[in-house]
Amino acid sequence: MAIVYKMIPHILASFGIALVMFRGFSGRRSVVALTSIAGFVAGAAGAVVLFRVYRGTIPFGVIKTALGSGFLILWGVAVGVMYRSTGRGTAFIGGERFVDSSYYAGICTVISSMVAGAICMSRLPVADSSVLKVAVFVFGGGVLACGVVFAAKILEKRLPAAVTVTQSGMLAAVMAFLLMSSSSTLRLDLFSPLSMKVMKGIHDFVHQFMESILIPDHLFVQPVVWKYIGYLFGKGVGFWGGMIIWFTPVLLIVLANQLERLPSVAHVRQGAQRRKLIFAAIEARRFRLVIPMFSVIVFAAAAYQSSFPSVEYWDPKPVPVTANQAGEIFIPKQGEINLEDGKLHKFLFKQGGREAKFFVLMTPAGKLTVVLDACAICKPDGYGQAEGSVICYYCITLIPLETVGKPGGCNPVPISFTEKADGVIIDGMTLVNTWGATVQSTARVKEGGK
Amino acid sequence: MLFRILKNSFLKRPKSVFLVFLSIAMGAAVATAFLGIAGEISHKMALELRSYGANILLEPSAVEGGGFLREEDLPKIKTVFWKYNITGFTPYLFGITEFSAGGKKERGVIAGTWFAKQLEVPGEEASVQGIKGIAPWWEVQGRWPENADEAIIGAALAKRLKIVPGGEVSALLKGRSQNFHVAGVVTTGGYEEEQLFAPLVTVQSLLQQQGKVSRVQVSALTVPMDDFGKKDPATMTKDEYEKWYCTAYVTSVAKNVEEVMAGSRAKPIWQIASAEGALLKKLNSVMLFLTILALGASAASVSTSLMASMAERSPEIALMKAVGADRFQISSIFIGETLIISVAGGIIGYLLGNQLAQVISRSVFNSTIASPLWLFPTAIISALVVAIAGSIAPLRRALLVEPVRVLKG
Amino acid sequence: MSSAFCPVKRERLLRMAENIIETNGLTRNYGDICALKPLDLQIPEGEWLSVMGHSGSGKSTLMNLVGGLDRPSAGSLQVGGKDLLALNEDGLARFRREFVGIIFQQHHLVPYLTAVENVMMAQYFHSVPDEAEARHALERVGLGHRLKNRPGELSGGEQQRVCIARAIINSPKLLLGDEPTGNLDHKSTVMVMELLKELRAEERFTVVMVTHNQEVAGWGDRTIYLDDGVLVREERMR
Repeated sequence: MAIVYKMIPHILASFGIALVMFRGFSGRRSVVALTSIAGFVAGAAGAVVLFRVYRGTIPFGVIKTALGSGFLILWGVAVGVMYRSTGRGTAFIGGERFVDSSYYAGICTVISSMVAGAICMSRLPVADSSVLKVAVFVFGGGVLACGVVFAAKILEKRLPAAVTVTQSGMLAAVMAFLLMSSSSTLRLDLFSPLSMKVMKGIHDFVHQFMESILIPDHLFVQPVVWKYIGYLFGKGVGFWGGMIIWFTPVLLIVLANQLERLPSVAHVRQGAQRRKLIFAAIEARRFRLVIPMFSVIVFAAAAYQSSFPSVEYWDPKPVPVTANQAGEIFIPKQGEINLEDGKLHKFLFKQGGREAKFFVLMTPAGKLTVVLDACAICKPDGYGQAEGSVICYYCITLIPLETVGKPGGCNPVPISFTEKADGVIIDGMTLVNTWGATVQSTARVKEGGK
Repeated sequence: MLFRILKNSFLKRPKSVFLVFLSIAMGAAVATAFLGIAGEISHKMALELRSYGANILLEPSAVEGGGFLREEDLPKIKTVFWKYNITGFTPYLFGITEFSAGGKKERGVIAGTWFAKQLEVPGEEASVQGIKGIAPWWEVQGRWPENADEAIIGAALAKRLKIVPGGEVSALLKGRSQNFHVAGVVTTGGYEEEQLFAPLVTVQSLLQQQGKVSRVQVSALTVPMDDFGKKDPATMTKDEYEKWYCTAYVTSVAKNVEEVMAGSRAKPIWQIASAEGALLKKLNSVMLFLTILALGASAASVSTSLMASMAERSPEIALMKAVGADRFQISSIFIGETLIISVAGGIIGYLLGNQLAQVISRSVFNSTIASPLWLFPTAIISALVVAIAGSIAPLRRALLVEPVRVLKG
Repeated sequence: MSSAFCPVKRERLLRMAENIIETNGLTRNYGDICALKPLDLQIPEGEWLSVMGHSGSGKSTLMNLVGGLDRPSAGSLQVGGKDLLALNEDGLARFRREFVGIIFQQHHLVPYLTAVENVMMAQYFHSVPDEAEARHALERVGLGHRLKNRPGELSGGEQQRVCIARAIINSPKLLLGDEPTGNLDHKSTVMVMELLKELRAEERFTVVMVTHNQEVAGWGDRTIYLDDGVLVREERMR
């Protein structure tokens, strides 16, 4: 059931993509139908292979790159149509003919549905499940894609014929749906990294290029100017900058549509006839606006979802660790895992048939803490990290990051440790015993509960 | 052209436009004010009710601890799971002593306590704890004690000892005595008026009970008690226990505090705890109900005035239809009119409602409220809802106008 | 060469002879009252037809039916090749704005709009407003100096001329007049009728005009007389 719930945004996105594609290539519906399904299955299968071969972040990186390049292409196209709407022609040689061909329709559909399929698979536990289960996932995805595509085909036929979509509008809608689909998982989200990059970029810019005027008591800088420079360092600068970059392309497409020239009617003698022609052009233009405007809403939904990742938390796979002869576990601060990056890092320690899960986290106060991945009262379902807090998966209580490391309530059980310059040292025996004592008292009902 | 039609139609009929505008603005204002206050009110009321006293009492459990709690445990109260819900606490150490002042002698209770103690807890924000925070309704004639040898005296006891602020009183116990400078006389309306309140350290040394306290009053923000909250934790299943622990019932907060104070037993003071929860719940639903009622009333008034103007405008509608306007074009003219009025009404209503909320808050709670950002869209949306709800019937009527009948003759 | 143009010519001739309005057993009942008894009427394109009769004779009913403002109770009604019975409400609205221009007895202008805006309103419902064209239309009816006046500031004859400008602005095929001169004095009546005649010569629309004034009826090509919903007499002027 949980899987079905998780898949809802992706199903909606695939449906939207298929719908827009059918309308965009309305002359080549069968090509679109075929390539959507094929692309989806190929993307899903490809993602499965990636996830199983490269564990960790590489597959996510691949999907993210695809999404990012799509977004860049959207930017390029948006600027292009804007340029064209000013009346300067930019005809590519043979471009028009290619755009009308079924190859073009097929390629566009395959690429977008491949990405959609890959995003879908990234939500499923394809890396750890058995081959059979994964095959079921891919097969189920294919069946689902068939259903979605045909449902989209049926709906598309019922849409008013007047609603048409331009190539740029189609791209905007497809990207919007893909980004909406991806933003529901933290690791594929583009909007948050984008706003983070914007913030960093602006700060770097101010530091690099305005260094000279940043010297206090500079002659030319009035206090008022300081106020505005201060805004650049505000909390919202990344968010609003990200918003601008996020929405500009689709808004440019909307604007270009509105700037499009009306047909010349000077040769028509009768006034009423002339006005009718102009009205028809305006109305067609208005209908072409429907899909880009809808994309704006979908883009907003994607941005909203990424600022409130409702379902998923930062929850890395526990890294197995071992103890040395003295029974001590040493975890280096730097290295493969950076303990001081403010994220929780989970570890798994096994000793003589007993095991303990724990995580290391740097609190916002800058203090390293080592705690069990369990609290004193709840079942050991573990914790995930959300914005400013960790969440106990069992009782869905948010615990402020500042209080991690303090005992009591639903807080994770703290473990004593020694902090060295290059890492932390935890006594393996203490760890296993604390885990044992905690879990013994809470896990009794683990199987029978609920 | 649409805007030209709308503009001229507004200018031509300022009275009826103003009426509709007024109804919408009123509706939006009431919604803004009520929702703004409802958001604040729980908080405000909780604080207000809190002034009727603490809702958790910590006492030594009878079996262990020898009848006292440890003062050193007190800071831990600010580190418990529900620490953010605990608004204040104050310890007490009681003893029976012989008071003497100006030749008069009286047996009475001396209470060592914190008045406004700066409390530093590692890893937590520094806070001020003590009677001043937990019992704001105490009326002190004079001032609060500041030094170790200063005290405030209950009004009844002061009367018997004939002491006024600035006087001296000495407490005698088993040969030891301690002089207090009376900084103020306190009127509480309760049994406290029979007691003398002095700084905890001083009383501890007088009673020879260093580091000990006899009870702690805790004031906590809690959620209303429901049937589940009243269940006995001992009979709960593990799942239920977790849910209970993770909900800010007065019982679970009490339990929480009890855990950190060695040898203590926490008792919720029921009267306040349950009255408070139930009252807040009722108050919020009353607010919501009133808001809906007000919006409904203004929608009805929008509908009536639009209906009236529709009767007056039916020749115009008939004419438009005769010239060839279809239903969509007629609707867009009338909906456009109401939309413009409602956006304007929403903005004005928001500004009015904000002021209204401030006025209510100042007169009822004697404090200002912060107006949250979401109130603005709420005001606009409620204005739109009122406008749309109010224009459905008039619009239907406009669409049913038959040009042949209206234009005849 | 000339043979290539032949079919075109013939088609135009055929169309000239075509009837713009054809009714077959056209009936309209208001409850028990029969306002229009079954009527068969053909109006060829380009004709100026006057409809005369006493009040209550069914002449306004006929005009409303033909103009798509009202629906017949029975019979068939074809206007400009369109079956009006098959159109829904919005379809009738579209028919009215694209095909028909109507002039009423009372001037029926929107009181809060100026003369030019009243004309533009008709353009707006038809397609898009075009102020220059609307102004030109008012100049054609001799109101070039009264563009920015509201109806209240215009005389009866001027108001009726604004209505004419509005009626012809969308180049209708059919111009309907419901006693357009009923409220005007003799001088204004002549002025309005002259104007209509001029415009018809330029725009070549068909006119159906309801009147009880014999003199006004005399401007037309043909006059039909209705009495109690029945066509009683027909008279050809020229």
